[in-house]
Parts: sequence; C-alpha cells; structure tokens
Amino acid sequence: MIDFSQPTPVILSEVRQITPTRRELVLNMGPQHPSTHGVLRVRLTLEGETVIACDPVIGYLHRGVEKLGESHRYAQFVPWTDRTDYVAAPSNNLGYVLAVEKLCGIQAPERAQYWRMIMAELTRIASHLVWLGTHALDIGALSVSLYTFRDRERILDIFEKFCGARLTTNMMEIGGFSREIPPDLPEMVREFCRYFPKAIRQYEDLLTENPIWLARTKGVGVIEPDAAINYGLTGACLRGSGVNYDVRKAMPYLLYDRVEFEVPLGTHGDVYDRYLVRIEEMRQSLRIIEQCLDQVPNDGPLMAYESPYVIPPHKTVMTTAEDMQRHFIWVIKGFSPPKGEVYHSVEHSKGELGYYIVSDGSPIPYRVRIRTPDFVNLQSLPYMAQGAMLADIVALIGSIDIVLGSVDR
Amino acid sequence: MEEQRQQPMVIEPRSWETTGYWGPTDSEQHPAVRLVRERFPEAFEEATVFRDEMTIRVARLALRDVVDFLRLHPELRYNHLTDITAVDLLSLRERPRFDVVVHLYSIPRRQRLRVKCGVDDGEMVPSLVPIFAGANWLERECYDMFGIVFEGHPDLRRILLPEDWDEGHPLRKDYPLRGYRDYVQPGYEAPAPRIRGTLRRPGP
Repeated sequence: MIDFSQPTPVILSEVRQITPTRRELVLNMGPQHPSTHGVLRVRLTLEGETVIACDPVIGYLHRGVEKLGESHRYAQFVPWTDRTDYVAAPSNNLGYVLAVEKLCGIQAPERAQYWRMIMAELTRIASHLVWLGTHALDIGALSVSLYTFRDRERILDIFEKFCGARLTTNMMEIGGFSREIPPDLPEMVREFCRYFPKAIRQYEDLLTENPIWLARTKGVGVIEPDAAINYGLTGACLRGSGVNYDVRKAMPYLLYDRVEFEVPLGTHGDVYDRYLVRIEEMRQSLRIIEQCLDQVPNDGPLMAYESPYVIPPHKTVMTTAEDMQRHFIWVIKGFSPPKGEVYHSVEHSKGELGYYIVSDGSPIPYRVRIRTPDFVNLQSLPYMAQGAMLADIVALIGSIDIVLGSVDR
Repeated sequence: MEEQRQQPMVIEPRSWETTGYWGPTDSEQHPAVRLVRERFPEAFEEATVFRDEMTIRVARLALRDVVDFLRLHPELRYNHLTDITAVDLLSLRERPRFDVVVHLYSIPRRQRLRVKCGVDDGEMVPSLVPIFAGANWLERECYDMFGIVFEGHPDLRRILLPEDWDEGHPLRKDYPLRGYRDYVQPGYEAPAPRIRGTLRRPGP
C-alpha cells in the first residue's frame, strides 16, 4: 500500500567501488530535468563521464488512456487521443478516427480527406518545430528555439482558425468534418507555404554547418539498420539509419497516393542524420500541402452523412423527425460498429502510430490499444547510449523525439 | 434521402483493400497461412479475415517458433515487430482468458500480419525478446497491464506503474475503472465522492 501523503524517498546518487581503482556512479537524471522533455527518468551508471549502463524509467505521466478508452463511447474517446501526444494532437485524432472508420467500413468524402492530409502535414511541421527548438536548446543552441516557436505560432493560428483550439484540437470527427472550412483558410495555409521555406533556411543556417552542432551530433548515438529494425524503430529514427519505411508510402491511407513526395533517408544513423531527415521531412510536408491545396475541391460534402454510424447533419436534425431521433440515439447511446478487430496505423511525426481496436458490437470499444511510436523508439536508448558520454545522453533523448504523454499514455 | 438510407450500405473498395497491405484476403492463397500450416500442422489453429486483415491463431507454446519462422523464411520475411499487446476476453469466452496479439510487418514485402495465441491466467507465453529486441518493453507493458508472464524475458518487471504497485493489473476487465482504493487528496480528510459510480456496459 502506497502512502501518498508521505514523500517517497528516492536515492539520488550512489557510488560503488568495484575494484580499488575503478568506481561506478549511479546517477538519476530526471524526472524533473529540463532536457528530458517531460518526466522521463534515466538511471545512469557512469564510470568517469562514460555511460556504462542506462535504464529509462517511465510511467510518471501514466493516466491509463487505454483503460479510459474501454469505458468511453467511440466518439467520446477522440478528445483523449489529443492528450497522448499533445504536441501533435491532430495526427493522433486522425489515427483513431481512421481506425474507427475502418471498423465501421465508412470513408470520409474526398474533400475532407484532403483537408485531413493538410492538417496532418501541418501537424508534422509543428511537431518537428517543437522537436528542433528543444533539441537544439538541450545541446546549447539557444536561439533556434526562438525561431521555431515563432513559426509554430503560425501553424497554431491555422488550427485555431480551423477548429477553434490550438493545442488539444479534437479536430477530426468520425466520418469527416462536421464544420465548414473557413473561406479564408486556404489562403492562410498558402501564405504559410510561401513563408516557411525561408524559415527552414534560417534554421539550417544556424545549425547544419555549425561546428559546435556537428561536434555534438555527428557520430553520436549510431544505430545500424539491422539493429534499428530489430528494435522496432519507426519514423525518423529508422529512416535516419537508411531503412525506407514510411507508412504513407507503404500503405497510402487517405489520398497519399495522389501526391508526390520523397522519403528522406539518412546514411549513418547518428543524431545528425536524424536531424537532416526531419528537416527534409518538413520540406516534403510543404510539398504535400501545396499539392493538396491545388487538388482539393472548393465545395462538396465534408462528412459521410449517408452512413448510419455518423452523426446526422445539424440542418436535418432541426427539420426532420427521423434525423432528430437518430441524433438523440447517437448522442445518448452511441453507435455500435460490427464485431471484429482492426489495426490502422498512420505516419505520425515521430513514427508509426497504430490503433488496434477490438469491438464486441456494443457502443463502447472492448479494447483500444495505442501503439505509440516514441514508446517503442525510446527503448533503443540503452543501445545507442553504450559508450557514450554523459552529455550525449541529452542529445540522444532529443534525437529520439519523445513526448512523455505519448510514451506513458 | 429516406429511400437511400433504407438500402444496405455498399462498401466500395478502400485504400487498404487495393494496396494489398495485408496480403491476399483468401486464407488459402495467403503465403504466410499456407507456409505456417505446412510447417506447424499441430500448432496452427485458424486463420481469420476481418476487413481484409489476416489473423493467424497458433498454439501458445509455439508462438516464438512461429514468429521466428515468419521472420526468417525467405518468402515471408516479417522482420519488423510492430506491436505486442493482449486482450482480456473475460466476458466473451470461457477459456483461455487472454489473447496475446502480435503485429508483424515485412519491410521488404510491405505486408502486415497479425499472430495471436490464447493464454489463461497463470500460464506462460514464450517471450519474443530472443528474436526481437524491441519486444522487451512491449512484453513488460503486457505483464504490467494484464499480468501475463513471458517465459524467457530477461527483465520482466512493471514499466508504467510503480514497481511496488500491489493492486493487480489495471487493464484486466475485472479491475474497476477508478481502482480498488479511494485516493485522498493531500489536505482533505475524505476521498472525493464517487458521483458516477462504475460505468455499466450497455448491450449490443
């Protein structure tokens, strides 16, 4: 029985004398440490400044999101997905919503799919900007974070225009979007697309050939392609090692098969290559957004209203009795997908985000499993940290790109 | 409008169906099903398809051998372990109680496969850590949340909950949503009242 009123004693550090000439220091890094990106705690065993062993301790932000998923109706769980990875909330919404749509066998209209792609790619840029700013801040390049957060603000403004929220957006709905796209939003996104390449050049001017940056990142935390696959890495961690796996190319969900983009690959698998891959991914995301803006129809349905699983349109709820009854039942009781199980994954900014949903035919999912990319990616930290210096741990944690809300769920 | 809604829904081909992401939907033609059935005639139990997702169910003790076979066979090469999780089927079937669900992916062949095995309370599942290093934390999470023990795991301890957590495994279906114990906020004498009680599961 844990007594919450008493503080738990935590051994902060411990020195072990192994041989008369060798000493080991066991050191706790975190959970309250500015460069662990949240509440990650790493138990390090050091000899001098060299890392001998490294054990990430997680769970400080565990809220039981999967258990909550088993006790909410399908549509009620969408806001919870925002809270798993809170710097890339629309991508989380998208993964869950696509899994539920696959379970129900419905598909959003074309226009909604284009807008989902635009929002997912904007999310990827926003998430990479947070990563770049904090990663550079950890290593010592203070000014980059000022630039990246300045530009992230523009994306959050677009989100605010689109759905009214900036961080936990609750943007995607099962079946599409029930709100109309604001008429000046396409121009706002285009304006961002015109502006942003200049901003990426600014970051690259600050970092890519900076000798201090190169010294801190090149050759640090190398993970070979075989080991990266064996550890189950996804996202930029896997592509930085040169393995070509991107869910958008492997299984083009939404309309990713209609747009052209390239998957950037690294060669050495070190921190620097992961940095280059993510910078290039931002450029490719811009390409996708521009193509989507060119292809998206200006009018047309945004919600698959013909499906019985989707909330009826507001207009007919107010005018017809049948839709009012359907709406009442949808809100009070929820909808019941067929029995079965689906797994659907999307390319999140951090890797492959998968939702595995088991349905027993009731309005509440029987099991919601969230396969978050950073939980799996983080377990390669001990492998990458072998023989590294203590200061490299900070660079490694940054380059894996974790958000503890998503690791702990 | 009204007539259209009365008709049964026609599901058009979706993107996941046209890309062949999960391989052939006919279990007779699926190479993984055919080869596993040939190689493990006793351990192979069934192959099911839902929404074009192929699931192979195997015997519990053969799980590691089957996954290793799927990983190494030159026609299959499922070399990427995406996920290991479990489902507590307490109210859906008698025995065994849990399903351990393994999602595999083949990067060279761009195909996904789900492998399942049933396990009862107190039984052990062969660990996948000797094959995939990435199984380590996923199995620890499974143990933490469901109490499923993986045989051969090098370091099976709790991962998300505190190591001295003594109230069981929270993703089991008989674990109440708000836990067994009332949490008293610091500064308060009594726990917060349970306003909504436990959420009752409505029928289908």
